[in-house]
Formats: sequence, structure tokens, C-alpha cells
Amino acid sequence: MTSEEIVEKIKNDLGDDILSVEISLGDAVVHLLPPALPKVCEFIKNDADLDFDYLSNISGVDYLDLDREPRFEAVYEFHSMDKNHSVRLRVGIEEENPSVPTISHLWKSADFPERELFDMFGMNVEGHPDLRRLIMPDDWEGHPLRRDYSLTTEDVAFSFNRDYKSELVKSKPPTR
Amino acid sequence: MSITENGLLERDKDTMTLNMGPSHPSTHGVFRAILEMDGELVGTAKPDIGYLHTGIEKTSEAKRYSHVIPMTDRLDYLNPPGNNLAFCLSTEKLLGIEIPDRSQYLRIIHCELARIASHLVWLATHALDIGAMTVFLYCWREREEILDLNEEISGVRMMTSYIRVGGVAKDATDEWLRGVRKFIEHFPAKIDEYEKLLTRNPIWLDRTEGVGVMSRESAINYGMSGPALRASGVDFDFRKKRPYSGYGNFEFNVPTRTQGDVYARYLVRVEEMRESREILVQAMRDLPGGYYKNPDSKVSLPDRDKLKSSMEVLIHHFKLASEGFKVPKGETYVPIEGPRGEVGFYIVSDGTAIPYRVKLRAPSFMAIPGMCKMMEGSFIADVVAVIGSIDIVMGEVDR
Repeated sequence: MTSEEIVEKIKNDLGDDILSVEISLGDAVVHLLPPALPKVCEFIKNDADLDFDYLSNISGVDYLDLDREPRFEAVYEFHSMDKNHSVRLRVGIEEENPSVPTISHLWKSADFPERELFDMFGMNVEGHPDLRRLIMPDDWEGHPLRRDYSLTTEDVAFSFNRDYKSELVKSKPPTR
Repeated sequence: MSITENGLLERDKDTMTLNMGPSHPSTHGVFRAILEMDGELVGTAKPDIGYLHTGIEKTSEAKRYSHVIPMTDRLDYLNPPGNNLAFCLSTEKLLGIEIPDRSQYLRIIHCELARIASHLVWLATHALDIGAMTVFLYCWREREEILDLNEEISGVRMMTSYIRVGGVAKDATDEWLRGVRKFIEHFPAKIDEYEKLLTRNPIWLDRTEGVGVMSRESAINYGMSGPALRASGVDFDFRKKRPYSGYGNFEFNVPTRTQGDVYARYLVRVEEMRESREILVQAMRDLPGGYYKNPDSKVSLPDRDKLKSSMEVLIHHFKLASEGFKVPKGETYVPIEGPRGEVGFYIVSDGTAIPYRVKLRAPSFMAIPGMCKMMEGSFIADVVAVIGSIDIVMGEVDR
């Protein structure tokens, strides 16, 4: 199926559960809110025409610097092995208690990326069987890929140039 | 020694917890598996990663697009060109620029050489893990030739950063082209040598056949990709299914097996080396002339020899080197086929010269839960064979 046919089918069959659909640079993209995620995933996995049996990737994005509402987003990429087409689900997540339901009961491959969402963005993945930090140590404070997490300084017991460095960061944001 | 439905050993038996790694030569980096052992049998295997976390995704959010490319080399350090290409393809899709034919072919030659080099490292270490020591030195011998070729074309043996946004870093030299021709001429005989040592070797068959079996359904469900997926009977290769960078111009087969064990993955990878060599032969035969990168000086650096004679070129060079190029707002993901499977960068651009978010889809990262599933119920000695057959690279797992 082409991207147009995919978004058309999802729009017709799941009109109430999704926010909107678009074609972004040729890719089929569906926008939705967290409560609808398991239902939409179950539909696209089991529907005979769509047949999205392969979860490729989950990316977290923090839109803090772009002042976009809602602040967080989880982006899911799906492929179909037999039909050879793809779709991208973009789930907007609120800043207050960010949380998204798990889809690891549908795809085992969601296990690691969902733990990464929790580790790097502090998103609570509801219903995940083993929600622990994945890459950072268990006693780490903060969530490194949030935009308000500083890149250049870290909180250590002693640092001779911490004040200087944080001044530097304030006065000289990276040139854009 | 019975295993319950959920993979746990029965509690009335004495079990032992064994830490495999993180510094163990056969875990291929700093991977740690916590094994619950009953005698020699593995009950449960729990993965533990993060020992090689370098924060490359976070650092990318403060670097210009061209500065991210050398960091992508360090993700999957056995396949730097594949990572460069994946990042460049996503960026080029956002920019909407065309790539000349000659640079497409140079990219493909560079990537296929890297695929062969990566598979040679896999074969060498995988065989060494299982106990076949001779193959190790044979494979290193041929890999050395590819690294020399990398040095000739990019100045660096491993972290080449040769593929850039808009094309490649510089044109192919005559010596490099001669070297590639020489390599593809004698390489099939070398693969025969490895196969003579392993393919019908009874000890090799004992150690690999029926070990670490994964069915087609669970390979898809666990998100395996690349050779591990094709050895379980899924005929899916992005070079064939969604040709990028002009792979559609080439004729090659996608080797598949249905057994889904360590031996099937071995056969798939060895055959892939032969197919990569086929692609190289066709690419060298049809290598078109022309310029080796997009001539738009707003994206790719102008030629150095024109810097002293043209004011406009000097301005472009200065602007590009000091400010970089601005990428239109948007987000995209372009998957490619690396030696380990699907590689792709999800890039979010906010319209500036610095990416807003860079996320790598790493095949090794996605394969680890499935790999640990394969270990469960097998002997401790087979754990080493399973890890070797998935060919994980911790650089891209921990990022």
C-alpha cells in the first residue's frame, strides 16, 4: 500500500481514536494521544491489509525549546515484512506526569526502547513488565535527553571549574 | 533440570547466578548477561547494558550536521560508512537535494567494502569464540586489505567519515580503484578457504547446528533484523525492498535460510560476503564519471584549489565552515541495511544548523532481548556461540 492509502485506511477505520493524519516527506504519519495507542497498535498489527508486524523503533522527543504543546512525544516506526510498507505513529505526551501505555504485550521488541523512554525522558510506561533504567546507572538522578538537562556540567562532589562552566553555558548558548 | 513455562527454573532445584561479562572476551564488548544456571543449563538470561554509554545522541543536539558525522562512526565501529550513509540520507531527505551518480556509486563501493570487513570481523571472532583459531588470522589478513583501501581514500583506516551530506569527501584515486579491483578479483578464493575450514567441519556443525534457534514469528516479534532475521526465513533486505542510494541498479541475491539457528546465520553471512562482492564487481564496471558531490556550495564544501582564485568560493567556504547549512523544519527516518540489520536515524530539525534531536535505530540494541531469549534453555558453552552469531556491537547498543 502507498502512504496515501495507509493514512486513508487508518483515518476511515480509526477516525475517533486518532487526532490527524499527514504525509510527511512521503512517509505516512498518524498523530494520536496516549490512551488510544494500544487500540491503534492492535488494529494496525492485526488488520489484514495493513499487517504491521514489525516494530522498528521508538524515539522520544522533548519539544521544550520549540514551545510546542504537548511537551513530549514518543514516535513509533512500524514496518510490514510481507507488504513492505511503513507507518509512523506520533504520540503527544503531557508535561505533567508524562506517561504512555506499553505496547510490549504486542511486540516483544518494545521492551528495550520503552525502558529507554523511561530512562532518558522520565516517561512512565504504564503496564511495562520491567520498568527500570536501561542505559544510565540505577541511582542516576535526572533524565539526560530532556532539553533542560545540561550537556556540559554535571553535579559532582568537587569540581574546580563548575561555577565557571555554568556561567559559560548561560552566557553562550550554542550558535544556531 | 526442567524449565517452567515462563522460562524460570523450578525453585526446588539448586541454581547459581552467573555474571557473563561485562569484561569477557566473547561478549564482544562490555555486554553483561546475568545467567541463572542449573548445572550447565541456562534457566534465565537477563541483559544488562550501558557500560559504553557515551551520550552521542545528547552531544549531537549541540553540534552542526557535518560535525555529527564523525560521531556516527563511533556508534557501530565495525561499519562506520553505513552509519555515515544513514545519517546523510536522513539529512538529505530533509534538505531535498540530489546526489550525483558518481557519488552514489562511490558510497555503495565504500559501504559494501565495510560490510565485507564487518562480516570478516564477525567470522574471525565468532570462530575464535567457538574454538576455530585458524580462521581468525585468515579473516584479519583480508580485513587488513580493506582497511588499507579505507586509508587510501579517506586518510583513516577505520573511522572514515568519508560519506558526507551531499556526496562523498573526495574523489576516488587511481590507486584506490586498482586496489578495489585487485581485492574483488582474489576475494572469492579466500571465502572458499574459510568455508573449507568451517562449513562441513563436524566440530563446527556440532557447535552450531540446532543451537540458539529462533522461529520466523518470534524473530519478527523480537525485532531482529539483518542476517539474524533472514536466517529465520524472512526475506527482507532494505537494499532490495526499498532501494536507496541507487541499489536498484544492481543485481544481487538476498540469501535466506529457514532453520534459524547459529549455523543458518553463519551461512547467510558468508553468502552475503559473496553477494557484496558481486555488487562491487558491478559497481566497478559501471562506475560513472562526473563530479563526486552535489555542486551546490550551500551544502557541500567547494574544491580547495578554487579557494585562492574565486572570491565567491571563499565566501561559501567560510560560511559553510563557520555556520554550517540550515536544514528545513521537519522530521524524517530513512532505514538502510547495515551488516547487522536495519540502521536509521530519526532526525528532528527545527530549521537551524544544529539537529534538534538525533535518534539512532541500532540493530544490535533491538536484538539483545531476542538474543537473551535464545540463550535460555541452552548450555553455558552455547551462550558464547549465540552472542557471536548475533554479532552485537556495544558502541551502537549504549550509544
